[in-house]
Amino acid sequence: METLSIAAVSFGYPAGEAVLRKISLEIPAGGIFGLLGPNGAGKTTLISILAGQLRGATGRIAVGDEPLQRLRRRRPQCLGLVPQEYAFYPMLTGVENLRFFGGVQGLGGARLKQRIDAVAAFARIENVLGRRAGQLSGGLKRRLNFAIGLLTGPEILLLDEPTVGVDPQSRAFLLDSIRSLAGTGKIILYTSHYMEEVQAICDRVGIIDHGRVLVSGALPEVLRDGSGVLKLRLRAPLPATLAADWRARYALQDTGAAAYSLRPPDAAAVAQVIEAARSAGCEPLAIRYGQRDLEQLFMQLTHRSLRD
Amino acid sequence: MRRLLALWEKEYLALARDIHGLAVLFLMPAVFIVVMSLALSDAFKDRPGGQTEFAVLAADGASLAERFVRGLSGDGYRSVPAPADEAAARESVRRGKPRLVLVVPRGFARGLDARFGRGSSQPELTLLADPALPPAQLLAFRQRILGVVLGLKVTAMTQRAGIPADPRAFDLEQAAALRVDAVGNPRAGRPSSVQQNVPAWLIFGMFFVVMPIASLFIVERRDGTLARLTSQQVPFSMILLGKIGPFFVVNLVQAALMLLAGRTLVPWFGGEVLALPARWDLLAAVTASTSLAAIGWGLLVAVCARTMEQATVIGGVGNILAAAIGGIMVPRFFMPESMQTLADFSPMAWALDGFHAVILRQGGAADIAGPCGKLLLLATALLGAALWIHNRRRG
Repeated sequence: METLSIAAVSFGYPAGEAVLRKISLEIPAGGIFGLLGPNGAGKTTLISILAGQLRGATGRIAVGDEPLQRLRRRRPQCLGLVPQEYAFYPMLTGVENLRFFGGVQGLGGARLKQRIDAVAAFARIENVLGRRAGQLSGGLKRRLNFAIGLLTGPEILLLDEPTVGVDPQSRAFLLDSIRSLAGTGKIILYTSHYMEEVQAICDRVGIIDHGRVLVSGALPEVLRDGSGVLKLRLRAPLPATLAADWRARYALQDTGAAAYSLRPPDAAAVAQVIEAARSAGCEPLAIRYGQRDLEQLFMQLTHRSLRD
Repeated sequence: MRRLLALWEKEYLALARDIHGLAVLFLMPAVFIVVMSLALSDAFKDRPGGQTEFAVLAADGASLAERFVRGLSGDGYRSVPAPADEAAARESVRRGKPRLVLVVPRGFARGLDARFGRGSSQPELTLLADPALPPAQLLAFRQRILGVVLGLKVTAMTQRAGIPADPRAFDLEQAAALRVDAVGNPRAGRPSSVQQNVPAWLIFGMFFVVMPIASLFIVERRDGTLARLTSQQVPFSMILLGKIGPFFVVNLVQAALMLLAGRTLVPWFGGEVLALPARWDLLAAVTASTSLAAIGWGLLVAVCARTMEQATVIGGVGNILAAAIGGIMVPRFFMPESMQTLADFSPMAWALDGFHAVILRQGGAADIAGPCGKLLLLATALLGAALWIHNRRRG
């Protein structure tokens, strides 16, 4: 599979303002692309357009040179969706749900059985397949939802906040499972507003807000911080003399609770600062230099928190 | 075909696990059939069941009273002992026991001798009647009284003329031999209670597929399964077909079970046995047409309603209104003419016409063509509207 290209895609509901405004993203195969944005940013709308649930978007969506719509007509099973909702039938058992969603996608006979066994094992729900889906725990429901999305072995996988409302153990399991799909040559688009999840499993990231892409690219590049600020959190506050020296030389700022930010002129000076802190009995507990986290990036870009 | 089979299997499983939906579809019409067939069994007979009691209070003596009693008894009228006087008679009729009292005044027998045309000298008869008595029954009794009086007068005349004659020869029943020959089906146009109620409540039950269709559809839309199916390239028309198949079968099973209820349950509780139609193929055609119209209605409600409450109001109230004006709850022949005209607009009335053409009148294909045609046209229009509304909302 090649790269999924989203070029200048716009969409608005009738008699409503635009939800997506000329969105452009490149989502290569073989990794996981994290799409971050607050509620209402347009993540689910974009997923719905890609999945063919919404019509009327302008722009171009293609895999390689082939428009996605044409590819899907040619190979209907090439795209799998794991929506936010528990999109299955609570009155049916797990296996009945898998059989149904496999059946409507044209799977049958031995191939269907083989795929059900495979996705049930992958999502570790083999032991609960005989239970009504509505009676499963939240975590198991998420896994069933995930397994249904994988039934046809899709080459394009759209995951729309697939870990919402699950316990930490199930979340960790789901994230590990999704991470393990990265090397299989699939195009994987993962939306979330949990930044730590995206930072943990994604290779590339895009941040959207109010229907616009604010930044996108490989995760290390996006998070690279060229400001030259060194951030330290120490075991104990700096001695007053050392603090006064660094305030004069490196514009030290005390950010509270033995945390400091300063601007050493180069990497050699950074190493000296760290060593000097250690020698003064202030063992560094956290060091950040040249990189920021997604939370900071998002606040820089939008001037608000992701969960606002 | 594999995709359609998967959709059908899902619908069956979902419906089979919906106890309330099954109760609405199968238990409700069966209960209505039994209860209403029994409750209305007398109302559908040409005259009310049992005998209408009457008494004759004659001041001129027992023989005149006996003559009236003999002439008026029979054909659903039964005499009871006369009250003591007219006041007591009025009080009895007010209580409905008996429902009719004929008061023959003193001197009435003497007045019988008066020549025709000079009857003004004859004292007036009074008939005390229960106002709840059907007008046709009251009219029939009045005619019987006049017949008896005429017999009495003729008897008096022959006696006065010296012609020997047996007074019984002038009884109304003896006037002529009259054979009533009903042409065609003796029940044509007027079903019995079971003939009315079995198809009526079957149709009502069939149209109630609107509830399980709409409720599952709304759950599918709310939980995102419909959106998921769309993302899996399942066309909406196929999703609709996936619902038509199972509910068509459900309607056929309903029809079989309700006919069985008319054959077994109703007589078991003391009602009449439902006579089976001669043409099962025509019955199947009417059932199928009704089913498609009912499912079309269910799908339109499912697409239009955004919440379960809306579906209940639109589907449930719509069904009850259609049943009320369509002759399901109140038979059309009981309705005034304006309401009978209104009933022509109810699909349930079309379905009932079709069932009656087969079950009641033992008609042919031409007799069901009209009702079936209207039902199929409606089904097509409803399905088309459901598709159009869905596509319009999707943008």
